[in-house]
Amino acid sequence: MATTMSPIPSLAGLGRPSLLVALLFSLLAIAAFIAASRTGRRDLSEAGKRALYATFGFTALATISLITALLAHDFSLSYVTSYTSRSLSVPYTISSLWGGMEGSLLFWTTLLTAFSALAIAKAPARNSRLIGAAGAVLMGIAAFFLFMVAFPGNPFAQVTGDIPVDGNGLNPLLQSPGMVIHPPLLYTGFVGFSIPFAFAIGALFTKRLDDSWFTATRQWTLLAWTALSIGIVLGGAWAYTELGWGGYWAWDPVENASFMPWLTATAFLHSVVIQEKRRMLKVWNVTLIVLTYALAVFGTFLTRSGLLSSIHTFSEGPIGKFFLPFLGLLLVGGLGMVAYRLDALRSENRLDSLISRESAFIANNVLFVAAAFTVLWGTIYPIVAEVSSGIRLSVGPPFFNTIFTPIGLAIVGLTGIGPLISWRRMSKGAFWRVVKVPLVAGGITVVALALGGLSSPGALLSFGLCAFTATAIIGEFVRGGRAYRRRDNVGPLTALNRTITRNRRRYGGYIVHLGVLLVVIGFAGNAFKVERRADMAPGDTLDVASYRLTYEGVRTASTSEKDIFEATLTVSRGGDDLGTMRPQRNLHLAQGQWQSEVAIRTNPIEDLYVVVTGFDTDQSAVIRTFVNPLTWWIWAGAAVMLAGMLVIMSGRAPVTVTAAKRVPAKREPVVAR
Amino acid sequence: MKRLALMTFIVLAMASPASAQSPEDLANDISQKVMSPFCPGVTLHDCPSQSALDMRDRIEGYARSGMSEADIMDRLEDEYGAAIRAEPSSEGAGLVAWILPAMAALAGGALAVMVVRRWTDRGSRHLANDTDEPSPGESSTSERQRLDAELGQLRGEL
Repeated sequence: MATTMSPIPSLAGLGRPSLLVALLFSLLAIAAFIAASRTGRRDLSEAGKRALYATFGFTALATISLITALLAHDFSLSYVTSYTSRSLSVPYTISSLWGGMEGSLLFWTTLLTAFSALAIAKAPARNSRLIGAAGAVLMGIAAFFLFMVAFPGNPFAQVTGDIPVDGNGLNPLLQSPGMVIHPPLLYTGFVGFSIPFAFAIGALFTKRLDDSWFTATRQWTLLAWTALSIGIVLGGAWAYTELGWGGYWAWDPVENASFMPWLTATAFLHSVVIQEKRRMLKVWNVTLIVLTYALAVFGTFLTRSGLLSSIHTFSEGPIGKFFLPFLGLLLVGGLGMVAYRLDALRSENRLDSLISRESAFIANNVLFVAAAFTVLWGTIYPIVAEVSSGIRLSVGPPFFNTIFTPIGLAIVGLTGIGPLISWRRMSKGAFWRVVKVPLVAGGITVVALALGGLSSPGALLSFGLCAFTATAIIGEFVRGGRAYRRRDNVGPLTALNRTITRNRRRYGGYIVHLGVLLVVIGFAGNAFKVERRADMAPGDTLDVASYRLTYEGVRTASTSEKDIFEATLTVSRGGDDLGTMRPQRNLHLAQGQWQSEVAIRTNPIEDLYVVVTGFDTDQSAVIRTFVNPLTWWIWAGAAVMLAGMLVIMSGRAPVTVTAAKRVPAKREPVVAR
Repeated sequence: MKRLALMTFIVLAMASPASAQSPEDLANDISQKVMSPFCPGVTLHDCPSQSALDMRDRIEGYARSGMSEADIMDRLEDEYGAAIRAEPSSEGAGLVAWILPAMAALAGGALAVMVVRRWTDRGSRHLANDTDEPSPGESSTSERQRLDAELGQLRGEL
């Protein structure tokens, strides 16, 4: 293989010293922030901030050093040898920063110090005690991760023996555009939750348990949740397009690791609204953010410790013994602080009625936390069973689907009921009046689909609940728009625009909910999936659902990275020619690893998904095909969810109970209900 | 409305997935219920390795020979052990896997209902009686009396 000189010099020599200096500065920052939180002195808080910025600077320098080493093919570093090769393209060479355990921990740490610097810099200076305590927590976490990358997970470790001429290359499965974006988004989500976590612990330490801790970190919570959501969906899209099994979610431990904090964070996003509006659920909210962050760290531990075997766990390392005590400290320390401040966290109000939006939010929280517990329990139970009784058993998709489906459907139903109920109280009569139209829509959907031939009870219930909830949410937009039309005498589009932009948080939330419904519709389509597999010689045909595939033969080609074997299949339906599909089966030369590249013909009704799993010398091919109904809606729903989150994040901070006493409420039209 | 609700209920109660399965469909179903011995952490269905595809062929062969789903699952368990089943069994250690989430969800739901009821009772009492307990931002009778007394004391000092 030809070796080329890289135009970029390796700065690997700067890496580990930078990490050690960053660790030192993080310890200095902890000391300064603790002193600031105890004394309230602003100069100490400023000193802590400067040490925090220096921690970020040196951590970033270490990351830049590793990136230069990757780009310069500095194979004196064990990490560079393990995860790159000379033939790897520049984007994938850079993405190998998070392709292995050591690099991804460094990336985690860099994001953490960057987010910490931004959050602390933006926090109001008058809260120097809170900033001090939150800064100390953030730098405590940073110190742990800096220790991990400076010692047991050092990405700058040298190779033993001769320096190799070339590296092993990045796992072919990771050489995908989705994998360039997916891990950074997940890490942004995981790390982003450290900011509300730190401010919550800071508030507990300083006994500043009003709204300041979550209003100061609201944007971070939203950013983290959005990044995690999109990261999870992109992970699903990657699995769908790269792994070749026709699905997007396998309840794999690593998928579960990202899903658990998402569930508790979603519960938190809802319950914090009750604290803002009614000053209730204070204990619950700090508990939820502690659990969310602990689950995010647990996710990183699961992914990187090799504790649970998974096709996603591409690297394993000796870091588990450090992570578990750290995780224990986060949980015991966090929940211990909540218990210590229990008196100060008491609700300042009471529920006025069982039929109220508060009750719906509480029910929503119970369901989300039950879902998170189910996923956690199912993920760790094989280890628990083996350690406790020596029995080896598996907990796979059938378990998760059985328990999760009813919880998920109940959440979908509550998503529709929530907006219909007013805050504080609502009479039963008024409740039935507003719920009538969505119920009729749901019922009509179920009956119409059943008459149309749909026979799966789960799918009928899913579609019915989606219709119920969509009608309830769309009704909110209609009522809001109607009120603006009446008051401002404007057209329907202007009225809709005003409805959304004048209460971005509420209507942005509804848009997110509409996106979730589209995702649920996509999931429900999975009930009608059709799969066929055949060993096909050129000229053979394969019928799958309403499609007919004709195998035309194989084409071969070679690049410096891989040998390509491409099957050509013509597709028709009812005699109409629909074109050609070309799935590939490629041999990646650096790794000697075979990998399938799927061919997908997608539309809102269904995906035709074709994967070739092997070729024979006589040009025959093993073809696996799926018809996946409604999968398109999952990706569309994710896009709608993102749009909704952008609407929410573009709005101003919410007016809390405390602030509402000072600031006169903005005039909005009265929406009749 | 009632007629529609009744129809919806009847439709949902009567709905059932198609039951007749070809050997290939049965093999597909079973492959989603067993873990892959070749791809740790995923089912046989989701494992892309050639060995997994061979095992699926073998399962399809069992189905063609007339074996039922239960027979095939038992045979696979004999060959690979209990961990081949993707779903924990409903007895022994497997039962704990099922029971705990259900118990936790029930306990969580019961706790939430209890808390909500307690809060609601207090809220209702407060609304009904309008006694000493203040609304947010309001002061109670005792607080008002104390405030008056302290203001009077302050005036006296001045």
